[in-house]
Amino acid sequence: MIRNRIRELRGARSMTQQELADLISVTRQTVNAIEGDKYSPSLEVAFRIAGVFGVPLEQVFRYE
Amino acid sequence: MQRLSFQEKMLWAQLLGMAVVVVFYAHSLQHAGPGHHYFHALLLVLLFVFASVRTLVRWRSGNVVEDERDRSIASIGARWSNVILWVGLVLILVLYWDHGSMRSASFLIGIIFHLLVLAGLVRIVRELVAYRMAA
Repeated sequence: MIRNRIRELRGARSMTQQELADLISVTRQTVNAIEGDKYSPSLEVAFRIAGVFGVPLEQVFRYE
Repeated sequence: MQRLSFQEKMLWAQLLGMAVVVVFYAHSLQHAGPGHHYFHALLLVLLFVFASVRTLVRWRSGNVVEDERDRSIASIGARWSNVILWVGLVLILVLYWDHGSMRSASFLIGIIFHLLVLAGLVRIVRELVAYRMAA
């Protein structure tokens, strides 16, 4: 199971799901599914998310 | 319940369109007398309108984001639809060669038509379920 800290990182930057979705070129529904650990993104999207927050990938996602 | 994405709205619209066609077809079958096949023509018109609207909406929505999750869900739907088609076609072949149950070419075309409608419905419903389960 892949867990993530997207909601926490997004909240710290006062960023909405839609704003993050626009930055990484996916739909808001996909961001919502990723945040809820219901969908595991591709490596490409995972790197884009980490890039938006300016942190290494392993600080956003972890495998349990 | 989270708001519906464009793809989900399209799926609901397709499901509604298919339901209208199927209900109309079933209603016509019940009420049309032998030899009165006007409903086949109307059915074709309905399907044509349905396909045209779908194509137009798709064409006008070029700027709507379709991401990897949408594509993943679409492939799940296509897989289910293909399984239904495959099983249906195998059953048709068995009926045709083993039992000689195919009365005429129009009967065969009718069965294939129903199979295509069923496969389409299964694809739409499976994709809607996948969207709700977040896939």
